[in-house]
Amino acid sequence: MKLRLLFLSLIAAFPAAALSFKDNDTVVLLGNTVIERAQKYGHLETALTLAADQPNLKFRNLGWSGDTVFGHARSYFGPPEEGFRRLTADLEELKPEVVLICYGAVAAFEGEDGLAEFLKGYEALLAMIQSTATPREIVIISPPPAESLPPPMPNLEAHQERLALYAKALGELAAKQQVGFADLFTTLGSVKGLTENGLHLTDDGYRVIAPKFLEALGLPVPATLKSPRAEDLREAIVAKNKLFFFRWRPANETYLRLFRKHEQGQNVKELPMFDPLIENAEQDIEALRTSLASSQK
Amino acid sequence: MITRLLLTTTSLAALTAQAQRGLKEIPDPDPVKQQAAFNLPEGMEIELYASDPMIAKPVQINFDSRGRLWLVSSGMYPHITPGAEENDRILVLEDTDNDGKADKRTVFADDLHIPTAVLPADGGAYVANSTEILFLKDTDGDGKADHRRVVLSGFGTEDTHHLVHTFEQGPDGMLYFLQSIYIHSHLETPYGVRRLMGGGVWHFRPETQRAEILSKGLINPWGFIFDEYGQTFATDGAGGHGINDIFPRSVFRTSPGAQRIVDGLNPGQPKLCGLEVLSGSHLPEKYRGLLIAPDFRGHRINSYRLSPDGGAFISTRIDDFLSSSHRAFRPIDVKMGPDGALYIADWYNPIIQHGEVDFRDERRDHTHGRIWRVTFKGRPLIEKKDFSKATIEELLACTLSKERVHREQARSELRARDRSEALAKLTAWSSTLSDEYEQMQAMWNHQALNDTATGLIKKLLASTDARFRAAALRVVYHRHEELPDAAELVAEAINDPNGRVRLWAISCLAQMPGPKSVPTALQALDHPMDQNIDFALWSIAREHQDHWAPAFESGKPVFGDKLSHLIFAMKALGKSLSLASIFKSLEENTLEKEEREDAISIIAQTGSPEDLDRLLDLIATEPTILTPLITAAEIRKIQPKSGQEKLLPLLKSTDPTVFAEATRLAGLWKLAPAREVLIRAFTNTKSAQRRAAAAEGLRLFNDEETIAFFYQIAGGDEDEAKRALAVKELAKIAPGRAAQYGVDLLMQDADGKDPYDLYRSFLQNPKASKALAEALTGKKIPSKSATLGLQRAGTTGRPPEDLMQALRLAGNLKPMAQKLSPEEMNQLVERVRQEGDPHRGEMIYRRADMACLTCHAIGGVGSPIGPDLVSIGASAPIDYLITSLLDPTDKIKEGYHTTFVEEKNGNTHAGGLVSQSETEVVLRDNTGKIIRIAGSDVKSVTISPVSMMPAGLTASLREDQFVDLVRFLSELGKEGDFKVSSKAIIRDWVVMQPHPRTVDQYGHYGAAMFADRFEGDQWTPYSGKVNGELLPTELPKVRGRGNAAWAVARFAIDRKGPVTIKINETRTMHLFEGKKEIALPESGPAVVEVNGSKDPHHFTIAVNQSARPTPVLIEIIDP
Repeated sequence: MKLRLLFLSLIAAFPAAALSFKDNDTVVLLGNTVIERAQKYGHLETALTLAADQPNLKFRNLGWSGDTVFGHARSYFGPPEEGFRRLTADLEELKPEVVLICYGAVAAFEGEDGLAEFLKGYEALLAMIQSTATPREIVIISPPPAESLPPPMPNLEAHQERLALYAKALGELAAKQQVGFADLFTTLGSVKGLTENGLHLTDDGYRVIAPKFLEALGLPVPATLKSPRAEDLREAIVAKNKLFFFRWRPANETYLRLFRKHEQGQNVKELPMFDPLIENAEQDIEALRTSLASSQK
Repeated sequence: MITRLLLTTTSLAALTAQAQRGLKEIPDPDPVKQQAAFNLPEGMEIELYASDPMIAKPVQINFDSRGRLWLVSSGMYPHITPGAEENDRILVLEDTDNDGKADKRTVFADDLHIPTAVLPADGGAYVANSTEILFLKDTDGDGKADHRRVVLSGFGTEDTHHLVHTFEQGPDGMLYFLQSIYIHSHLETPYGVRRLMGGGVWHFRPETQRAEILSKGLINPWGFIFDEYGQTFATDGAGGHGINDIFPRSVFRTSPGAQRIVDGLNPGQPKLCGLEVLSGSHLPEKYRGLLIAPDFRGHRINSYRLSPDGGAFISTRIDDFLSSSHRAFRPIDVKMGPDGALYIADWYNPIIQHGEVDFRDERRDHTHGRIWRVTFKGRPLIEKKDFSKATIEELLACTLSKERVHREQARSELRARDRSEALAKLTAWSSTLSDEYEQMQAMWNHQALNDTATGLIKKLLASTDARFRAAALRVVYHRHEELPDAAELVAEAINDPNGRVRLWAISCLAQMPGPKSVPTALQALDHPMDQNIDFALWSIAREHQDHWAPAFESGKPVFGDKLSHLIFAMKALGKSLSLASIFKSLEENTLEKEEREDAISIIAQTGSPEDLDRLLDLIATEPTILTPLITAAEIRKIQPKSGQEKLLPLLKSTDPTVFAEATRLAGLWKLAPAREVLIRAFTNTKSAQRRAAAAEGLRLFNDEETIAFFYQIAGGDEDEAKRALAVKELAKIAPGRAAQYGVDLLMQDADGKDPYDLYRSFLQNPKASKALAEALTGKKIPSKSATLGLQRAGTTGRPPEDLMQALRLAGNLKPMAQKLSPEEMNQLVERVRQEGDPHRGEMIYRRADMACLTCHAIGGVGSPIGPDLVSIGASAPIDYLITSLLDPTDKIKEGYHTTFVEEKNGNTHAGGLVSQSETEVVLRDNTGKIIRIAGSDVKSVTISPVSMMPAGLTASLREDQFVDLVRFLSELGKEGDFKVSSKAIIRDWVVMQPHPRTVDQYGHYGAAMFADRFEGDQWTPYSGKVNGELLPTELPKVRGRGNAAWAVARFAIDRKGPVTIKINETRTMHLFEGKKEIALPESGPAVVEVNGSKDPHHFTIAVNQSARPTPVLIEIIDP
């Protein structure tokens, strides 16, 4: 018992092995609100795009507000388990080479009592990802810390402790499962003035933490990230993310693909029309990335 | 051509593309023409405030503290086009020269994605933007938003007319917003994740970022308001209950997983979008305080008057506020403006919503939109104020203004000021107020600044006016944590003489879970109860179960000596708890009748097999225990541990209900000695009802012996009814052996009536339908029977293709070669317009064989199974109606999808979902029958894309009759004879069925027997015509003296105290209130006053239908 504890703490002490990207990789970002909103601002994806230093990466943000490792927030009219099936189908279609997962911020509200179930669910999620997409890289990312804003906003110190507990358990889970671990919680330490409500990063918050995000993933922070032209890249990324969102999580699903599709199912043909638009947007992204990279050299 | 078409029953898929073909006349968008089409009451004037191209497609309007009108405008709706920019806008309109017309427009934001709500407040504007709520702010004063942050995200987008919408700022300073049936939202907040599946009302406090759910359910609610005393109400754009009373934790129709719901206040009203309380000195006195809500389908705005009734409200529909004959006038929001005029957002579209018409249909309007301004002749407007320039002192003074729009804007502006300064001034100012109405406003001012005015709350709780006490409790509900003695205050309020105050006390307790919360709340049981209070108590007993149930189990006297409280709590919980005290009272016989029934039902609902043993001891004297024991056996799968033979004597009962329940129970228990008794009953009885009961009991034994018995009967030479019964039962347990005999019987059914209901028996299980399909191979059955079979199969939620194909072959039904081509549809639509007679059509609608009345209501009168058709004509074009009749599955209304339940044993059920819990799933099938399925038997529950309405219902109609029927439907809700009147006309009746003893009884009692003698099952529901007429000749002929055939009907007036009723024609009529006859004139119209009972009134009328075919029309006249 003691030996195992020692072993685990050693692992947690080492920095994560550097994450590697290859030409044409599809990279899935998976998680709850912190991931979902990241697509809107683009800072994290811009940092990853520049740090990865590989051509033609396709980032697919599958973040979903309020989601957990069980995928329940992704269900619509069926039972909660439908959400997990939806996620499975998405991964099946995307077949990502790299999957970056950030869950735990929602589950942490359950505290110590919810930890065992969370980890069990996480294992099932990892197993599903492995069997559905056999990605080359999986990285578990611990949730970002919470910030206690002045009253009347609630004091989140207790939640911060719960997040610490979950972050630690995630490190242990990553070791056990032999997948990567990025301890965003510890790397960020405490945040001040970076969140909307104590939990969710502002536009500026994402920008500020982007280098730390790379650091947690064991990636170098490229100098280009501070270049003014990185802002053009970010805008191109945000535009692409919107297109992908309309394609992947369309409004009116009830009519397009679900139980009222006999009324409007004819319009589902419009969804693939986003594919060439996404492709174009990715060419723009690649052009900007290449130009930024060459200016660096 | 059409006749052939109507006979076909397969899906007319080609029709989908023809949806709303009837909409060929796109109305002239000239605002002058639109203005001329308004129909206004005396004294009212309407003017165009703003129009396209200045604005387009307004979705919600709200005013800011400077008197500017903000509107959210979506041209993108219903769906983004690939490659298009997100370009929906927030527009700000100003009338700078005060001539009643907007002359300045500012584009505040122009990159939104189907935004559905805007509320200017807190120095910027909150905007609903599909998945998120944003806060936009103009920081440099150029009128354009340059700062943006996400306030909340995680709202679903499964349907873009259900997206988060309808922003309203409460007097408490919180932001309220709503979502609709198809939306699933998951919001992460600093207090934990909040999830809302389906419709509901949220509240959100910006200062603390706390978002919580206030109420759940409703289909598509786009109207939400606070009344003068802080009570909240909502309307529903796809539900027909008029005004809905929104109290905390209330749950309404279609909330997923709801086990219980509360109803709206006006069942049978048109669907309403938007809601406003009329207020202000510009309006004539008679309008003030009314609620108005646009009937956007019917191009009009309805009015309602609310009056308190215990814990609830009564809402009475009165005359229309205004109406229009312009088919693109779509009023969807109404707001009182800063000048005291009323502003109407006119979405201007000939096509509403996007379920039924293609997203990309070219007739969809994306560019027009109007704001109309309603004023009253000769009445001064109120002063338009710019509160942004007012001092804090002026703002405070204005929160006491007699003009509500001033109070609201002043309070909202206060929030934008320096809080500590505002609060200090407010506190000093509040202490000078002595009038309770002013104190209430001050209490809200404090709350608006996120502060708790303890002193004011306590003063108002001590008011003699219940409205102030209720308002104070609403503040306690949200801020109890800041009130040290909240628990004591609420404990006192639970015994308040006023029902609304008690309801609020229960709501407050629901916020404060603890060992005392439920026992305290249940003290409300000792006072008069109503729907809301009963619901709130049921809800808290369940929500707080961990706070009382374990204590009760450990032997603590949680409810003192109040057995009724205990029984209520246990019934609400529906779980097994110690029944010792209940048994004691039951066995010592200390309970009143109703309590006794409750006690029995709670034991059967929650007790162990040993408890059921004890219950069984009562069976000889208490046959009412049969129903709960059946439920225990079917739903909980438990039965008494021993002593089942005590049931045997009841199998001799002559009471048909007792006999039926006893046989069913004997079967469920597989009570061996009962089998012989049941076989004897089956074989010997002359009563079909008794034989059917015996057959069901036997079938439940479900063993080889039973199968052999039924098989022998089915193939024997008994009479047809007996064989049919055996086949039906066999179909459920050994379908392979039933099918061949089933086909033999169907072959005899020349007129296609299926008198033994064989099809339904075979359709309950895929094995049975397959067996029937196989048995039909190579056989011929009458085509009418095959058609009926197809109808039945088509509504099972998952239609069995093999059986349907077999029926087509066996019945020689031609496959659907003919489809309604666009030209044919055009011709048919034209014929409906030119030749259709809606009066004849109504009589066809009312024909029993059409079965329309079996499922649909019109204006709340009739069956709740299908959608209420009250305004179908005003909303649906003719081709939509035709398609819906021919192929019901093509268009299904929200909230009316079929729920399909599959049991683990393969049995399947389809119907509307009534409730769903772990214990059981309850459906209502398309005959109105309630089906209960044990949770432990359920394999899956899914939403089926198939309508509950059978295809081919109109197959028996001639072409001209079909045209008349469609014409009738197309007139419903339009101005004219087929609009349900806002007058209180009696349309909801029960009518008396013939009875063999009436001739004899008439001899003894005369017509008085109708009011006195015949009760119970003798009375069946009857709906009057749309105009309220009861047709005597439609009623069953009840024999009296000689050849007289009486039509006898009853109605109730759910109101206490004196009422006046007006009768159109009294010839041959007898009228009774209760049992007392009221004298009527020989003939002619009459006005009768009935003076004040303390109970609701019950009336019986009898008219001699052979001597008087004239319709009966009865109206209640307001005192």
